[in-house]
Amino acid sequence: MKIAVTVKVVPDTAAEKKIDPATKRLVRTGMNLVMNPYDEYALEAALRLKEQLGADTTVTVVSMYPDNGKETIRRALAMGADDAYLISDDALGGTDAWGTAVVLGAALRKIGFDLVLCGGLSDDGTTGAVPGALAEDLGVPGIANVRHIESAQDGLKVQCETDNGYQVVNGPLPALISVTMAVGEPRYPSLKGIMGAKKKPLTTFTAAELGVADAGGEANGKTELLSFAPPAARGKGQVVTPDDAAGGARVIFDYLKERKLV
Amino acid sequence: MPDVIIFVEQRAGHTRKVTFELASEAHKVAGMLGGKAHAVVLGAGAQTLADQLKSYPLDVIHVNEDGDVDAYLAEPEVDYLEALARELGPSIIMVPNTLHGRDIGSRVAARLKTGIAADVTDLSFEDGRLVCTAPKLGGAYITKSAFKNSDYGVITVRPNAFSAEAGGSGATVQPIAKPAGKTYVVKIESHVEEAAAEIGLEEAAVIVSGGRGLGSAEPFEGVLKPLAKAFGGAVGATRAVADAGWVPYSMQIGQTGKTVSPRLYLAFGISGAIQHKVGMSTSGTIIAVNTDSGAPIGEFADMLVVANANEVAKELTKLVEANRSA
Repeated sequence: MKIAVTVKVVPDTAAEKKIDPATKRLVRTGMNLVMNPYDEYALEAALRLKEQLGADTTVTVVSMYPDNGKETIRRALAMGADDAYLISDDALGGTDAWGTAVVLGAALRKIGFDLVLCGGLSDDGTTGAVPGALAEDLGVPGIANVRHIESAQDGLKVQCETDNGYQVVNGPLPALISVTMAVGEPRYPSLKGIMGAKKKPLTTFTAAELGVADAGGEANGKTELLSFAPPAARGKGQVVTPDDAAGGARVIFDYLKERKLV
Repeated sequence: MPDVIIFVEQRAGHTRKVTFELASEAHKVAGMLGGKAHAVVLGAGAQTLADQLKSYPLDVIHVNEDGDVDAYLAEPEVDYLEALARELGPSIIMVPNTLHGRDIGSRVAARLKTGIAADVTDLSFEDGRLVCTAPKLGGAYITKSAFKNSDYGVITVRPNAFSAEAGGSGATVQPIAKPAGKTYVVKIESHVEEAAAEIGLEEAAVIVSGGRGLGSAEPFEGVLKPLAKAFGGAVGATRAVADAGWVPYSMQIGQTGKTVSPRLYLAFGISGAIQHKVGMSTSGTIIAVNTDSGAPIGEFADMLVVANANEVAKELTKLVEANRSA
């Protein structure tokens, strides 16, 4: 089985994030870049499937990424992915969620797949629109919010998270699923994995090679960022050290009562 | 004249508060655009819910109790929404920013080849365009965006951001035709309820949340749940707690979990790491209880009470219960 995992390279959560006022894009240089944490779970789910299904299963990483993101992709290979396809093109800067789905869709059609695994959100964009849009673009069944893959042989049987539990869902392959973090904690790359990653194939596509020049980039986008500003600062509040728990509860209760929150 | 269509997420005639927030806001947006406000209610129980929605300021409520909607995942709902959008022409589709709503919204956007404004907390009309306001980058920025290059637009709306106001002169409830020529393959076999939450985390007005400082799994059920109940709210948790298996991941707030904006957020035994902060920093009032007076949460909470979280939660439950019955 051929499994493809979509991976985004994003600024580290702890990094201070800035929007460049001139381009209105997120600044992605001069900071630590990481694999989108949601995608790490998708990759972990793929690697676990590979372990279950055996040697003829492959895991391919597909990423539309900035030039300085190669190390992050190497990490995905070090974790155990077999190869990677990168779409790196200045013309794709500022591509929105819709455009991203179209670009990834074109790459996936070129590469071929039985199952596409996605993280549910990106840590920087947080639109959560790419997996659903990508399933539509590929014309395959899309199953969102998967917390557990029960079986992926001769079709899929998965658990999808709902607001108060989950539902058991089944469908045929090829398909796309987006996962939640309940699929399992992502592994750390082993030393052997890190050494081996350097020899794994890494193929690059341009927008023109994929024929997506009319979908990528800011000009072709369907949304436009008009303005941005930091929110009203949330200052440090009061620190109260009560005599005992009952006193602490009383301070909170009075505070809430005064603000009609109780 | 662009119309507005809202997707009503429901099962067996039960929906969530965000539906009524969407209905109220759809009326306002339709007013800005000079169009009508439509709702689409699908699956078993749709008729009952449509009757309930009539007391909100919608123009048309489209109903079909199609069994395929309950039997198959997402796709039937997407087909109905796409069909209605194409029939009405240029329109704005509003869905709740929930697990299911996001899935539906992203697919409808792809079908209509349009963009998504995600996690929107305010809508306005400026210079002839619909402007969507949303917090981004974990609340570091408040952004304003608009749609372009398309006759359509999809908006995922953050629960709790808009008020639900009944009103209007009563919508027309009418059947919507089942889209023809569709076959479905992703089958829903069963539903399993784990946390029988009456209120979803994203829409709770009060969230009582716990971290590793609570010491074990037991206080979530034994201490936080009664307090949440006294407030009429919901219980949340940090990633560390979900990772430890104390609570299901569906209760996790923050990065890789849920983003919430309740009126009141009570954090018990939560240090306030950035991974948690990004999911709750836009809450109205934040109160933290932690034995560590230097916990990072003190930097952005309205109040940090330095004390044993479990004990304070128990005492606070008594006060809130007494206040309710008073």
